[in-house]
Amino acid sequence: MQSPVSSLGERLRGAEARATLTALIESMRPDLLRFAQWLARDRSIAEDIVQEALLRAWRSRDALKEPSAARAWLLTIVRREHARLYERKRLELVCLDDALDLPDGSAAAVADARLLTLRYAIMKLPLEYREPLVMQVLGGFSTEEIARELALTNTAVLTRLFRARHKLRTLCGASPAPDATPGEERA
Amino acid sequence: MICEDARLAIGADPEAAGTELEEHLRVCAGCRAFREEMRRVNADIRRALEEPPDLRVAAPRRVAPAWREYALAAGVVLAAAAAMLVWLLRPTDSLARDVVAHIKAEPDSWLSTLNVSAGSIDHALKSSGVGLDLASDKIVYAQSCWFRGHYVPHLVLQTAHGPATVLILRHEQVKARDNFREGGMSGVIVPAGDGSIAVLTRGRGPVDELAGELRQEVHWLPEPATR
Repeated sequence: MQSPVSSLGERLRGAEARATLTALIESMRPDLLRFAQWLARDRSIAEDIVQEALLRAWRSRDALKEPSAARAWLLTIVRREHARLYERKRLELVCLDDALDLPDGSAAAVADARLLTLRYAIMKLPLEYREPLVMQVLGGFSTEEIARELALTNTAVLTRLFRARHKLRTLCGASPAPDATPGEERA
Repeated sequence: MICEDARLAIGADPEAAGTELEEHLRVCAGCRAFREEMRRVNADIRRALEEPPDLRVAAPRRVAPAWREYALAAGVVLAAAAAMLVWLLRPTDSLARDVVAHIKAEPDSWLSTLNVSAGSIDHALKSSGVGLDLASDKIVYAQSCWFRGHYVPHLVLQTAHGPATVLILRHEQVKARDNFREGGMSGVIVPAGDGSIAVLTRGRGPVDELAGELRQEVHWLPEPATR
């Protein structure tokens, strides 16, 4: 039987752990929101996704064993929440030409035009290409982790990542590299 | 490892490293250049993703007075007329500039050393309605490129003086031979039937001689209806 003193100590440690996790989650919120926005392409939907994801994360906080794994863990929950929402209801399509904030002609906007073109091109990528790219570049996931998360083979993920960059490279003015395009997606 | 596998690995992760890949890159200049370019593209992608997408909050539309609509329509007509006038009066050398800009955008093309398959050459030519009686073993690069509103064959030929780039411009008419030097390249655009041919080399190559030969070898096929 536990003594009242050790029980209090555990409670204190538990409270401390919860406070640490809360602080950790809050510090990652901007990253999670940005990740969700690149997936959902809509700020209010992204906010809903993050809200729901954080709720799920809190409920299953015992699953997080290592604080260093928190970022990948939370991003995975956000991605799954986006996938769940995407499957649950057909999201209203956003007309990117109307929705994107295009350059206003100011000097700063002109200077950043290339980057803006690229952001626009990323937004226009189909989800099957955008999702692994955002997971890799923004989330820091490895090919194997993306494959596991998206239920694809490693080669299929490599092909999608290749095609995503290939499309962006072409959309941004460069032409396709010779002999560089894989044919059918290899399973 | 072959080029296709190397480029798949690089395109999927430009920072990827592995023994096989590094061994391949040591001997393949084309794939090395491809990795450098993909790393640049990837750095831009990273920068682009660092900020959340800029989605504009939809603002309520204001109703504009009727005279504004007429003024807008008149402005559009005037702008279209001005654009048409500029297009009609455009100097020939703007074609040369566009050709040079296009070639600069495909730096990989100069690096190719392996012969292109007959199928790829055939595709690049026929999809633009072009026939070429040229030995395919001279061609080390063949792409069908979007140029000034049309797909055009973009070829690189291996010559005794080094690589020479050829754009066969079925829809660009020039009145006379136009020699130019720009961006470290020398080039010439010559009339060929109803269109023209651009030939460029790095440095001072025998572009006139090559263009003369190509004029004899190019012929126009019925243009493909759609693509």
